[in-house]
Amino acid sequence: MTSVPSLEPASLPSFDARCFDEAAAAQMERFVRDFGRMYRERNEALREVTRAHHAALLQLSAAADLKDDDTGVHIVRIGYLAEALALALGQTAGYARMLRKAAPMHDIGKIGTPDSVLKKPGKLTPEERKTMNCHAAMGAEILGRSHIPVFRMAAEVALTHHERYDGQGYPAGLSGDAIPLSGRITAVVDFFDALTMDRVYRPAFSVPEALEMLAAERGHAFDPVIVDTFLAHAEAIDALRCRITRECPSFDALIDAP
Amino acid sequence: MKKILIVEDHIDIRKLLKMTLEFDDFEIHEAATGDAGWVLASELQPDIVLLDVMMPGTLTGLDVCRRIKSDPGMRHTKVIMLTARVQSDDRAAGFTAGADDYLMKPFSTLQVLETIYRMEAA
Repeated sequence: MTSVPSLEPASLPSFDARCFDEAAAAQMERFVRDFGRMYRERNEALREVTRAHHAALLQLSAAADLKDDDTGVHIVRIGYLAEALALALGQTAGYARMLRKAAPMHDIGKIGTPDSVLKKPGKLTPEERKTMNCHAAMGAEILGRSHIPVFRMAAEVALTHHERYDGQGYPAGLSGDAIPLSGRITAVVDFFDALTMDRVYRPAFSVPEALEMLAAERGHAFDPVIVDTFLAHAEAIDALRCRITRECPSFDALIDAP
Repeated sequence: MKKILIVEDHIDIRKLLKMTLEFDDFEIHEAATGDAGWVLASELQPDIVLLDVMMPGTLTGLDVCRRIKSDPGMRHTKVIMLTARVQSDDRAAGFTAGADDYLMKPFSTLQVLETIYRMEAA
């Protein structure tokens, strides 16, 4: 890359005289053009792989969630609601978008929880509770093998969505801001969405009831700032919840929406 | 589409920079001197300016950077200085002039793109 012009005075009258040897410049341009092609092809391939991987993991998450929801729309709602709440909290559009794609996989680890525990009616024994609680770490393990940012975030959400703001959660007993924001947000939307869903063992709570129960956990299970933000935007968030239930966006839409 | 202005006096370096930016979808503009760069920047109010430090003419890259940074119409404009010198005071001078980041020449094609993406994300 030695160039004749660098030896010339900086006060050269014609600026275009500052250039490389013509053949060398032409060759460099060829290199750059080829490199550009490989760069685009590589990005395209990476996008394809990410997409396929994402779709497969969403399917697996929906399968893990079959006991509670045979439509798969609960996990899709978690994504959109988490995105809306992140935006309401002042996070960037990029962060919120990534959370929309990541949060739906938070319970993927339940795929490894035995049905005898997962489907047990009534209270779990301490031993069963321990087995149940493994799903957080198991989910993080399934998702965390990737270096792609969205799956790294998904692993973080899976691992921390049962931590509690007061430190009484699991698996690590983290408290306050030591719990990643993604996990704190997902915990709140998961709580609200689960309450407002019909379950085999109980009908859905009304929205005002669910909001009241959410408010009661302010500073206990959940980050007070996130609860306050949720309550301040409750109407819009609930409208979004109803819209997602009605429109039931596909996993592809969840991945591709801007 | 992001508007990017390249201000660089070396015609071939400018072309290689432009070709690098063409890996992605950007609206690309070019100027060969600090003076022309400042005129074009005021007119276009670009999102990102890739700005050479050493250029012939009355305005150096640092002058152009200072002007961009004090222009209310270009509050959104990010400036990435291109410098051939490795001294850290050169870097410091760039940041004092308000530069958002800097790239060392010979520039790395991937670093140019990564730096721009980082600016976009910020």
